[in-house]
Amino acid sequence: MKGVIGLLAVLAVLVVIPVAEYAFAAGDEPGEYLDRRVVIWNLFFRMMTIAFVVGAVVSGTIIWQVWRFRESHPKAKPTPYEGTDW
Amino acid sequence: MAHSAWPEWIYVGVVIALMCWVGAEAWEAERLVEHYPEDAHVIKVTGQQWFWTFEHEDGTKEIGELHVETGKAYKFEVTSKDVNHSFNIHDYVVLMDAIPGRVNHVWFAPDKAGEHDIQCREYCGLIHYNMRGKLIVEDPSS
Repeated sequence: MKGVIGLLAVLAVLVVIPVAEYAFAAGDEPGEYLDRRVVIWNLFFRMMTIAFVVGAVVSGTIIWQVWRFRESHPKAKPTPYEGTDW
Repeated sequence: MAHSAWPEWIYVGVVIALMCWVGAEAWEAERLVEHYPEDAHVIKVTGQQWFWTFEHEDGTKEIGELHVETGKAYKFEVTSKDVNHSFNIHDYVVLMDAIPGRVNHVWFAPDKAGEHDIQCREYCGLIHYNMRGKLIVEDPSS
């Protein structure tokens, strides 16, 4: 079953993405006059905003976890793996 | 130990949504940047060790210098005669590989008169560093 899902996932990557790109290229309407500097900078700016926000959330979560689940935290509880002799 | 899985699903959902959004934005920017206007003037750009040749639609050729006008779009057909080069107008974020036996496309629309550097961005041999050109953007003559 897992193999079938994996195969489907690989097929999706191999088939769906090229088809989507092909479909996208099919609308080959003429482009508009635009300043590519602006388009590229805007994209970069948005991507960097997302990257920094995601980076802050992920690192903040990790820092909070390390702080909250340290052994010396007042609310720390032993896990079953550590035994009950606390 | 059983636990609620909804935070995980929210996390997965947020990640998938973000990836879709990032992909869509990048795709849209690529579409905008790659679709050249219908009335774009075609300029054939040929790189060879170690200079650039430009051929306008009317057959006029320029070497090391390219004259264009503001308010018009230009589509570059970029190729090479010998080794791989890369055609770059830094100030206009134009960058396209020049590959022997292949024609690559890139376009731009200059909006202000001025002079800009053209530079090869693919190491192409001894004098690569000096494989430069000059882009001269002028206001329309008439």
